[in-house]
Amino acid sequence: MSTMKTYRRSFFRDLLVLTKRSILVTLRVPFAIIPNLAISLFFLLVYQAGLSGIGSIPAFGGAHYLNFILPVAIVSGAVGGAGGSGQALIRDLETRYFTKLRLTPVSRTALVLAPMITGMLQLMVQSTLIMIVAYFMGLQVPTGILGAIAVILLASGWGLAFAGYAVAIALRSGNGQTAQAATFIFFPLLFLSDTFVPLSLIASSWLKVASTINPTTYVFGAMRSILIQGWQAKPLLEGLLAIAVLAAITLIWAATTARKTLRRA
Amino acid sequence: MTNDAIAVEGVKKQYGQFEALRGIDLQIPYGEIFGFLGPNGAGKSTLIQILTTLALPTSGHVNIAGIDVIAHPDDVRFTIGVALQDTGVDPLLTGRELLILQARLFGMNKKAAMERASELLHQFGLEEAADRRVKTYSGGMRRRLDLSLSLVHRPKILFLDEPTTGLDPQNRLSLWELLRSINQETDTTIFLTTQYLEEADALCGQLAIIDHGQIIERGSPQALKRKMRRDVIDFEFMDRQTAEKAFEMVTSKEFACAIADETLHVFTENGAQDTRILLPLFEECQLEVVGLKVTPPTLDDVFIQLTGQEAK
Repeated sequence: MSTMKTYRRSFFRDLLVLTKRSILVTLRVPFAIIPNLAISLFFLLVYQAGLSGIGSIPAFGGAHYLNFILPVAIVSGAVGGAGGSGQALIRDLETRYFTKLRLTPVSRTALVLAPMITGMLQLMVQSTLIMIVAYFMGLQVPTGILGAIAVILLASGWGLAFAGYAVAIALRSGNGQTAQAATFIFFPLLFLSDTFVPLSLIASSWLKVASTINPTTYVFGAMRSILIQGWQAKPLLEGLLAIAVLAAITLIWAATTARKTLRRA
Repeated sequence: MTNDAIAVEGVKKQYGQFEALRGIDLQIPYGEIFGFLGPNGAGKSTLIQILTTLALPTSGHVNIAGIDVIAHPDDVRFTIGVALQDTGVDPLLTGRELLILQARLFGMNKKAAMERASELLHQFGLEEAADRRVKTYSGGMRRRLDLSLSLVHRPKILFLDEPTTGLDPQNRLSLWELLRSINQETDTTIFLTTQYLEEADALCGQLAIIDHGQIIERGSPQALKRKMRRDVIDFEFMDRQTAEKAFEMVTSKEFACAIADETLHVFTENGAQDTRILLPLFEECQLEVVGLKVTPPTLDDVFIQLTGQEAK
């Protein structure tokens, strides 16, 4: 058929075109990004200002509190950025532009992947900005620029896991309120951990248990080892393992949910 | 398999216990403007969703341009253009951006996509608004943009779901003009659903009326009107309750009639004569008639007589 010869299908073109559009739209609603970045910087500035004195407690091993709290700012920013990919999908579902896209021969995978990639890019830009702010606050990293990049990559991995969760919820619920409510998992994930002080200083035993179970603890651990001690295999591997396991779970969930949502019934 | 633009054979759709479609058969030749009418919930949207690859039938076959919709949805998507009521566009993008994006997703390269977008913006009178975000567009502009989006890849067959619902009369007329010219200039087959019978009358060569998941009548608008008895008498009453009493009484006298709001439509061969018979009967039962009209049948009357409902 002549019409079909003129038009070719290409997964990468679809992905590129949709990702570009996703980025464009993200940039047109800056107010969706700014609060998230502001919260991250708030963590960095306020906790550093208020708590930096406790860096002299022996449990910190002589580390600067700035290096200790930086991963909290970065992870909170990462989770917010990744959550944006779910929000982008919700917007398309609510405006019903998503149905319009489904009526084109576009790759169904690209349809779901594009907002995730955009979320990841947003997260990387945000993490870099936070890093730069920390640098001007006097951050010194024993592993240098490579360490900074490694921390951003860890944040991206953690963000990817969260993006899988956000996308699955978005496709499943299809409405903004539910998706918004579901991002509240962010709070226990971020705060039921050794967020502000090392595990050895946490007095209550339930919080200790929660911290040990919470995978975020291991991501913090990996980041802090890079920012404070230097390259160390054990915390790094633990962090990577936590990311790999969680990302595998949420991405598989997202993929099955997407298949179910996009299937014709 | 067939030479028709759209061939539907024994299509059924079941949602749990509910039968949304109970065996639809349709053959629509190329180049036709085909109107699909039916009251809300009759199965119009379900059928259009199946025809446009969004849903699967429970049983039956659908071929669009000779391609099996169930087995090859992507090939069908290349050959059809779709503007459904339950689709939207991203209000944060501009008209031009949306058209280019759509063209790219249908496989055009950047240059071809940009050219096609300019062409359509010109054709649909959207050049001035082209680089404004869609959220600033008026209802009529949005509708024209939606239609232009469905035409980006020069489809052979166009599916439109209530294309003029919510438009003012002037915009509606200009959209009809556009649809006619698309049909004539490019020989595009158009399948449209509508709740406006004058729209079907003005645009469509062939019609089908669906009710309770079944096609209950089909033919040209002229033939459908001819099928009606010659006259329609409209008795308007004070309220619905009175109209219902009148309905019962008239039915018991073996007149064909239907009720819509406070109005009773009586279908008859001789309007003048039957008016003289019916008016005294209403008076006898103290059913006060507040308005009276005898007219030749419109498509509205065809619809009311067939479905017992007004087309809304």
